Amino acid sequence: MSSQPALIAKGLVKRFKTGRTHIEVLKAVDFEALHGEVTMVMGPSGSGKSTLVATLSGLLRPDAGEVSAMGEDIWSYKSGKIDRFRLDHCGFIFQGFNLFPALTALQQVEIILKYQGYGRSEARHKAATALTEVGLETRMGSRPSEMSGGEKQRVAIARAIAKDPQLLFADEPTSALDGENGQVVIKLLQRAAKSFGAAVVCVTHDVRLEAYADRIIHIDDGRILDDRRASPGPPLVDHSQPQPAFAGV
Amino acid sequence: MSLALATLLYEWKRYSAAMAALAFSGLLVLAQVGMFTGIVHGITASIDRSRADLMILAPKNESLVNSGPNGLPERIQPQIYLNPQVVQVESLDGDGARWVNTPAPGKKAVITYVNTFDVDPTPNAVTLPTDYPESIRLALLEPYAVVLDKTAQNRLGTHLGAAASLNGKTVHVRGLLENYPNVDQPTVYMSRDTMRLLGMGPRNGKTGPLMVRLRDPTEAAAVRDQLNATAKGGYKAWTKPELAAANEKALMGEQIIGIFLAFSLFLGLLIGVGITSQTLRGAILASIKEFASLRALGVSMGSLAKIVLELSVWVGVAGLVATALFTFGVYLLASKFGLPMGFPIPWVVTVVILLAVISILSGLFSLGVLKKSQPADLLR
Repeated sequence: MSSQPALIAKGLVKRFKTGRTHIEVLKAVDFEALHGEVTMVMGPSGSGKSTLVATLSGLLRPDAGEVSAMGEDIWSYKSGKIDRFRLDHCGFIFQGFNLFPALTALQQVEIILKYQGYGRSEARHKAATALTEVGLETRMGSRPSEMSGGEKQRVAIARAIAKDPQLLFADEPTSALDGENGQVVIKLLQRAAKSFGAAVVCVTHDVRLEAYADRIIHIDDGRILDDRRASPGPPLVDHSQPQPAFAGV
Repeated sequence: MSLALATLLYEWKRYSAAMAALAFSGLLVLAQVGMFTGIVHGITASIDRSRADLMILAPKNESLVNSGPNGLPERIQPQIYLNPQVVQVESLDGDGARWVNTPAPGKKAVITYVNTFDVDPTPNAVTLPTDYPESIRLALLEPYAVVLDKTAQNRLGTHLGAAASLNGKTVHVRGLLENYPNVDQPTVYMSRDTMRLLGMGPRNGKTGPLMVRLRDPTEAAAVRDQLNATAKGGYKAWTKPELAAANEKALMGEQIIGIFLAFSLFLGLLIGVGITSQTLRGAILASIKEFASLRALGVSMGSLAKIVLELSVWVGVAGLVATALFTFGVYLLASKFGLPMGFPIPWVVTVVILLAVISILSGLFSLGVLKKSQPADLLR
């Protein structure tokens, strides 16, 4: 299912200041993600993959370049409007689950929906649906302290997908989980892409996840080294970088 | 249930320092107010617990506390009877005398100045306090019998049954009262006849303030107005609650006590805000990642600030409950030692406002921590 680009980034540059020098973490990166696809961003630590996701998702303002998400040039907006954009369109899943200890699974999901403007009963209904989707229909009343790591990550996924995001960002979603739970999580991400047409951008180290990707991008030293489809297809972005021979993998 | 309230209930231990700080700030003020009010109650006990419905004071007295001479000309008393509602009028005569105890062998005598008050020991007399047991009333019928509060025994070097001298005449301690403590000078109570025998009481044609009993106590306000309308500047009538409030106000308004209380309020505010805001900051920092993930999902900084402020308001409410419990504990402890305490509504309201101000200021001061909720930091 190849469809419309959900996310187009051009010439993204991000520098960080360390002491008196600047480190260029992103060096004029171009990127594209399509609706209905799982795009994996892989690379070693410090390669700039997390920074890339942060700039794509409206969390970290790039020093140069632009990001068009759902046809909107998000970095031309003020921060309040970017917040609203994220609220309406973006879901996030982090390595840590970042759930409020005091809230039950249902409340964790509900709270975001309430901020999105849903009424009490509608929010509750949508939250319950999302939790059922991730297989937690029996754990809705549980607090994080009563759940396993895999269950917590599924709550985080439910929280991200309950608002039907068109852009779903995941940062090392499986690195704190065992293989079995990791597989459950990546399958859920895949389903978000296939069933709801979300563009899923997933940063990971975990090579086991490659099997679930539609597209795999390798990044190192702030540059995209390689961009290939899991199933044969034309490269989506023409990179000026020479492409290493990964074709046989 | 909101996130703020759920968090406070679930992680109450984390917020307990803030709640304790609020509770002690409240207690700091309330305990002092309670003590000072208790002092007033001690001073005015025989009026507050008398059977009088109205009090007649000299026209210029603003209260019975530190308000200058409060004697009335003797001719006022019959005037009051002109009102058909009035059943009984008696003067409450106070005086002072030199007290010398009977020292135990080898000990020095206690020589001090005491206040003396008279009480009419006939049954249901208007000046007879309602909480005098019958045994005290009977004891007072005996000439040269005096009674005093049990907390005054040590100060006066005396005990039940002991003899002492008042203005050089021998009296006997025939009863001990409860709840009639006096902070500045000990007070000795006796019958009207004993007071006369001791050469004290009304003189120069002046009596003390008058106590008035009415046929229908519910008419007190109306009769007060009628009496005042015909007073011609000779006296002023007060209902009992009015006078009690005026007495409290007069004592709280005493400069030094006012300064004490204002300073306590200030100190309570300072300590409360200091500890509460630090606790809140720590608690917010501990869940900064959760807040950051809400930010990532698009919840605005303003909404997070609202959560923090709501949290601080709930901490304030919890602190208020704790204050109430602590204060009640102190009150019980004080009653155990015979110390009366009182909590006038305006001061309770002041403390409620104090705690609200502390918790909201603390919330505002801890908002800065939210800046650390950078969702980009979660992508590491």
